[in-house]
Amino acid sequence: MIPVRCLSCGKVVSAYFEEYKKRTDEGEDPKEVLEDLGINKYCCRRMFISHVEVW
Amino acid sequence: MDIAIKSKEEDRITLVIEGVDVPFINAIRRICMMEVPTMAIEELGIFKNDSRVFDEVLAHRLGLVPIKTDLESIIPRDECDCDDHCPKCSVTLLLKEKGPKTVYSGDLNSQDAKITPVHDTIPLLKLRGDEEVELEAIAQLGTGLEHAKWQPTTVAAYKYYPEITIDTEKCEACADCASECPRGVLEFDEKENKILVVDPENCSMCKTCVKDCEMEAITVEGRDDKFIFQLESDGSLKPEEVISAACDILAAKSQKIIEFTEGES
Repeated sequence: MIPVRCLSCGKVVSAYFEEYKKRTDEGEDPKEVLEDLGINKYCCRRMFISHVEVW
Repeated sequence: MDIAIKSKEEDRITLVIEGVDVPFINAIRRICMMEVPTMAIEELGIFKNDSRVFDEVLAHRLGLVPIKTDLESIIPRDECDCDDHCPKCSVTLLLKEKGPKTVYSGDLNSQDAKITPVHDTIPLLKLRGDEEVELEAIAQLGTGLEHAKWQPTTVAAYKYYPEITIDTEKCEACADCASECPRGVLEFDEKENKILVVDPENCSMCKTCVKDCEMEAITVEGRDDKFIFQLESDGSLKPEEVISAACDILAAKSQKIIEFTEGES
């Protein structure tokens, strides 16, 4: 499960992860999805692009 | 002091503040991060947890969930006259779920309709089969000094207001500075045959343009009495509420010093 907040800045990232996952699985560009969700800092963006949901 | 709002969104505010010095604005920044109180879950009674998430991990995840705070209606727990906790100084959130499902922060059942989690979609734990979870969480006021979960801000930062000057006598209008600027601050105006400063507030003061200018016609400096202050909140308080609360705290601290020195003499 994705950490609740960004490890560096503390912004809540987990609240948006499921929407990000759904939209990228449907073929949208991750960059555009992140911008649309308002995830602008690179510390928060790496939380999304590097996360692997294991269980 | 002159304050202008450059941009304002739901959880983010950018101000241009003029006529203050570094110690003052830094005090505001540090109080915004560390001393403005917000709500967060501090105590947890876990009655049942069948899931594969350990109790400690679950408690940590719950602690990090930001909770909408109303600084008027709730008081810090150590200032309350109750023995343990009461509705004046805390809010109880209940959770009782049965799998199979993912439990979200929105499933937390708050006893106070105004004080609820900011986001409803934070996954807390996953329940498989007929696993069950039942817990009682107590949220209370706290400050970032004690634990980062009480920090109202995710970004609280300021930078010097950049001042870019171009010496028109030295400048040969080669436009190197405009093409080298990584942030599009400078632009070459072909009609007028000169360099224009189009977006000075976006300048990061990297001084690439200064290094590239062979004629030494361009200077980039930061003003130490004008700042761009940026604040992003985690949603528990609005960014403007954070700043005004920080100013109140700084004023109270200053008052304390004034009273102390006056009492001495």
